[in-house]
Amino acid sequence: MRRELINRHAPFVLSLTAGMALWEVVGRYSSPAFMVPLSATLKKLWQLIIGGTLITQFLDSAALFLTGFVLALLIGMPLGLLLARVRGLRVGLEPYIMILYATPMVALIPFILSMMGFGFAPKVLVVFLFAVFPVLYNTIEGARSIKPELIEVARSFRSSEWSLWREVMVPYTLPYTMTGVRLAIGRGLVGMVAAEFFLSSTGLGQMIMTASQNFDTAGVFAAILVIALIGIAMMRLGRRIETHFARWRN
Amino acid sequence: MTEPMLSTDVQRPETTVPPVTSQADARIRVNGLVKRYGTLEVFRGIDFEVGAREIVTIVGPSGCGKTTLLRCLNGLIAADEGEIWSNGTRVTEPIAGMAMVFQHFGLFPWKTVYDNVSYGLRMAGVPAAEIARRVPHFVNLVGLKGFEQAYPYQMSGGMQQRCGLARALAVEPNVLLMDEPFAAVDAQTREILQFELMRIWEERPTAMVFVTHSIEEAVLMGDRVFVLKGRPSSIKETITIDLPHPRTRETLREARFAELREQVWSTLMSEAREAEFKLET
Repeated sequence: MRRELINRHAPFVLSLTAGMALWEVVGRYSSPAFMVPLSATLKKLWQLIIGGTLITQFLDSAALFLTGFVLALLIGMPLGLLLARVRGLRVGLEPYIMILYATPMVALIPFILSMMGFGFAPKVLVVFLFAVFPVLYNTIEGARSIKPELIEVARSFRSSEWSLWREVMVPYTLPYTMTGVRLAIGRGLVGMVAAEFFLSSTGLGQMIMTASQNFDTAGVFAAILVIALIGIAMMRLGRRIETHFARWRN
Repeated sequence: MTEPMLSTDVQRPETTVPPVTSQADARIRVNGLVKRYGTLEVFRGIDFEVGAREIVTIVGPSGCGKTTLLRCLNGLIAADEGEIWSNGTRVTEPIAGMAMVFQHFGLFPWKTVYDNVSYGLRMAGVPAAEIARRVPHFVNLVGLKGFEQAYPYQMSGGMQQRCGLARALAVEPNVLLMDEPFAAVDAQTREILQFELMRIWEERPTAMVFVTHSIEEAVLMGDRVFVLKGRPSSIKETITIDLPHPRTRETLREARFAELREQVWSTLMSEAREAEFKLET
């Protein structure tokens, strides 16, 4: 039992340790203008936490991310269900959705800047645009894959259109939407950093920019490390939520 | 009640009032039903009545339109000509008092047994307290006590269809429509479920239309067997099954059962071989 546990986790732990060691060694033999060792990064990170900078910037970024992300969910899911149910609307809007989904959103940032200027709203829009399409797209695909037999069962039991949504369409589609949500988390984080780089500079993105301009490589790495850890935590949370809503699919 | 826009309504306005009942307790009355898919006529000239405590089984080769006919009876699809009356209502959409059991079970995979069984009641707007009182009774009746919180994927086909049956029974319909309900379960389970259904029906008899492709099942369950065949199909023969109720395993051993089975078989099979070897033109 114990042996099995060690065998299972050994590759993970070994790989992680090797990676950290490599970072440390390469960092020590590099110019601090390009790279700093892990220890220096962690020390800097600790200072940033103690000094309070990290917390403020983190909260700033979190507010941006959550606002954009929640909007993406609130609009992406109902719109996806609606498009799945109303064929004319879907066929009409599909080309625009495909174009926007395929367009690298970063390319739109200069346009958003000229339209909306600096402020909170344009940055939320960037996060929203990054996050909404996976939610929308997966919801449409999910809702369209529902078996016509089940809709017929609902009709046979005299379901109203509203009940059909509540009892059949939404619960069936949720696992698909959650796959979209998991993808949207990753994309939303990219959107968040991009918005903080190119629009009014705030949050963790600003931390990276400022540190980089001051040749504070340790500060750059510290901020990147924080974003990476948030990303991993969010992805895992997303997968948890996804399996929770899909527990009836087996 | 809104009438569907059928050309036959215009030609025969008198048929939009309930016809005078010849058999006072008829639960379903079907007059001159025709269904087409494009130019293909599925069935035509379907006329029959089902009594309030009568089981009619419809047997026929695959593709003869049995399931289509049942879906018309349920009001899920519209017939092209003719009309269906049930409980004084012309059936143009699913009506209260009818419930269907599906060949594919049609359970909602994200709902537990309890939530599946209560589904029809919730759709009918039955108060929560009444649902909480009724559902355990029907879960019990089909032998699923203790499995209320199970999901469909955890259950065998037989258990799933018991759940489908409980869902239909829970709305206390006076017409039960059975669309090859036991076709998707294995032979032993099928036999068990047939007798379970008969036991439940004897407790609370309703009108039932039972579609099957099994001759034995048709004779065992039915008070009358309709043989549906031809292209387009129609009811070629009606065979009255004079076997006594309750139908049990004993019924299968009666000489009369074998006789009737033979009769249905010969009616059904008379052209089956020719049909099997006919090429589509």
